Amino acid sequence: MLRETMHIPDGYLSPSTCVSLAAAAAPFWYVALKRVKSAFDARLIPLISLFAAFSFVIMMFNLPLPGGTTGHAVGMGVASIVLGPWASILAISIALTIQAVFFGDGGITAIGANCFNMAIAGSLVGYATYRLVAWRAGLGSARRVVAAGLAGYTAINVAALCAAIEFGIQPLLFHDASGAPLYAPYPLRIAIPAMMLGHLTLAGLAELVISSGMVAYLQRTDPGLLRLTAPDAPVSDDRSLTVAARTVAARTVAVRQMPTARKLWLALAALLILTPLGILAVGSAWGEWSARDFSDPQMRREIAAASRNHAPPPAAPRGLERLSSIWTAPLSRYAPSFIRGAAFGYLVSAMVGVGVIIVLALLLNWVLARLPAAAGRRRRKSFVEKTARGLLEATGHALFAEDMAATSGFLQRLDPRVKLAGIGALIVAAVAVHRLWVLAGILALGIVLAVVSHIPIRLLTARVWLAVLAFTGVIALPAVFLTPGAPVWRLPLLEWPVTQQGLRSAGFLILRAETAATLAMLLILTTLWTRLLRAVRYFRAPVVVVAILGMTYRYMFLFLATARDMFESRESRIVGVLQPGDRRRLAAASAGVLLGKTLQVSGEVHMAMQARGFRGEIRLLDELQMRPNDWLRLAAFVGAATLAVWLGR
Amino acid sequence: MTELAFDVREVSYRYNQVAALNGLSMQVKRGERVALLGANGSGKSTLLRLLAGLCFPEHGEITFLGESLTEQRLQDEEFFFGFRRRVGLVFQNADVQLFSPSVFDELAFGPLQLRWPAPKIRERVGEVLRAMDIAHLQDRAPHRLSGGEKKRVALASVLVLDPEVLLLDEPSGALDPSSQARIVDFLVSCANGSKTVIIATHDLDTLEDIADRCYVFANGRVAGEGTPLEILHNVELLERAKLIRPHAHVHGEGVVQPHPHVHRHEGS
Repeated sequence: MLRETMHIPDGYLSPSTCVSLAAAAAPFWYVALKRVKSAFDARLIPLISLFAAFSFVIMMFNLPLPGGTTGHAVGMGVASIVLGPWASILAISIALTIQAVFFGDGGITAIGANCFNMAIAGSLVGYATYRLVAWRAGLGSARRVVAAGLAGYTAINVAALCAAIEFGIQPLLFHDASGAPLYAPYPLRIAIPAMMLGHLTLAGLAELVISSGMVAYLQRTDPGLLRLTAPDAPVSDDRSLTVAARTVAARTVAVRQMPTARKLWLALAALLILTPLGILAVGSAWGEWSARDFSDPQMRREIAAASRNHAPPPAAPRGLERLSSIWTAPLSRYAPSFIRGAAFGYLVSAMVGVGVIIVLALLLNWVLARLPAAAGRRRRKSFVEKTARGLLEATGHALFAEDMAATSGFLQRLDPRVKLAGIGALIVAAVAVHRLWVLAGILALGIVLAVVSHIPIRLLTARVWLAVLAFTGVIALPAVFLTPGAPVWRLPLLEWPVTQQGLRSAGFLILRAETAATLAMLLILTTLWTRLLRAVRYFRAPVVVVAILGMTYRYMFLFLATARDMFESRESRIVGVLQPGDRRRLAAASAGVLLGKTLQVSGEVHMAMQARGFRGEIRLLDELQMRPNDWLRLAAFVGAATLAVWLGR
Repeated sequence: MTELAFDVREVSYRYNQVAALNGLSMQVKRGERVALLGANGSGKSTLLRLLAGLCFPEHGEITFLGESLTEQRLQDEEFFFGFRRRVGLVFQNADVQLFSPSVFDELAFGPLQLRWPAPKIRERVGEVLRAMDIAHLQDRAPHRLSGGEKKRVALASVLVLDPEVLLLDEPSGALDPSSQARIVDFLVSCANGSKTVIIATHDLDTLEDIADRCYVFANGRVAGEGTPLEILHNVELLERAKLIRPHAHVHGEGVVQPHPHVHRHEGS
């Protein structure tokens, strides 16, 4: 779940936001391509492909974190340290694209946004942090390990902040006639603390563990790999360096203990307190009116304007008022005056509110995660086993999709270009429409397409509908209470109002995410990757990009298998329970071994390409031809999408 | 007089300070099948990469058909394409060689880079797919191939260009007997002098079938040279090159007696 908060799904961002972010990413991609091409020349294609495949596999690693949890890293810290920021931008972008297009992780319309946040902002910030903190320290110094950890930590948090800002501006800019937000429903003051809470604590640590662990591992085994991004480091004899690096690395890992679980919970508590403080500090913004604002005529006009002239309820939502008084009441006699004030009451109630929402979200997530897999005994699995299983599942899903694509069904028989453009148009329509019933209609069309393509509905239920509900449902739930508007029902005891706008907003978010994910899954399950690549090529995607995408996918399987073998052989040799530090070191060492293999294979692949006449400029065979029938089908898809957008405008 | 395909003179090459080749010299005539024998790390793979113009010697010189093989020479587009067309290298690790999304794309890669026209590419790829008995695999992705199939596709991806010189790095390593036999059959079919074949191997069993002449490598140098039979009988040389090891085993119901020897089956 933590990993997926970073991968923005379809339906959370408006089409215009997606387009703007893709446009913002474009110049970075262009510069990165130019820079990397001049730095690596003909090695560009194999190096970026293999590194993207490596990043993809790294994202599957289940990293042990303090407090007994595990998390996933994106790996932009590692990538920018080993390859430099520009190559890292390309490699991570490719990995994210494959995740979105092939594994449904992150939205297809949100690829630009995800690349902007993680690949671009993440790589650049991670690299800058590493260079600044490491400064001119020797390749084997402990300082580089710390710098790498910080680089990973800041990179993921900057990416999360970007995503939070993107989420936060949605309700300000996009709402329907009743004032219900059409996309991500939370304003900046909620989106930022909610996103940062998870990333400053858990997800940030995952990135920290992998980045620092990898650099410590490379210092021991192959410090030369760190040279590219450390031109200022003193040059010393390689052999003695390796020995020195070994002792230093061993010492740092021992000294640099991770924060304990207790510290982690303290940090979480601090954030709980700070979150509403932040809300108070900024004053009343859209979505955070205090109880008093509702009776102030000036404020009422402002709220109405912000809600598109939908008059706010005449009195403050009773729950808010009551909560404020509950917390101040018992204290009123003895406490200093400021504690009795409305501000403190609101602060405490907001704290409780945030806490309740987090608990509810975790609970719902826990319940839903157990639904499809209710059968079978559960036992606590080691992270090694979990990772090995995750890697096996990823391979399994991909192979299953390939098998599915080879069967005969309506979509399977469709020309890949028609499918790519047609389903793409429907996904865009699903993200663009402003009416719930039109959205439901597109979802129904998706289900019909699934049925005529012989895709088992049970599979869609488990892999798409329940999975999306578990994730988006948790995110959408608090919006039901937090969105200002006309209350339709009140939660017993707490008296929190369920607003009509809140319900609509949650409905939009969930239905959009479900519809887009269903359509994306249809594309994934009915199209062979090779055919999809040819379709992409037909739409004039740069030949370099198509070649890299193809090669990444191909070596992704090799690395998934390599990583799986590594973890399985570890598992067979582990007796007893590993200490947390050992587990982290093991994960980092596995990533390091994989990195070594990545670079070795990329060098050899480059030679194999050269041996068959490759000089840096790749050529592909374009063999697809559109037939009249294909045009007809494409017109039908685009027509349906256009109709939906028109009806749902 | 037969022309020399490759002339290697006093060549040295190092990987990160570690010497892989150490003043090595050898010659290969056109149409000859030469086996390079040696233990792991004896420099066979390195030499094949040098012969394929993928790395260049630090000292010494390699000529191909009388023309010196240097980095500058290969910058020349005409020479580059001519050389790539005539010399094909099959890598030891098929996963490295199969980098395209499907078997068809893999076979089409070489011709595409050499700028053949599309219809000619389709025709030639189809021909080779049938000849190598892999036509049924043409839409298969490389991760869906067995080890033996991968080796066949890797070989086919080079044969599609119909090179005069084939460089093979352990073509039958880690294969099941039937897949191995296919490769051996192919190498036997090259015995008529139609192709120059250089094979790196440490498999002594099939040596007589696949090679006309052998070089034995040890420590980045040529330790011996001769016909397969001469080499196989030179126990001292094979032992020095770490290709065989004196060991004890039982013959019939006789006594246990340590003695070095090579297992061969006469008349095969």
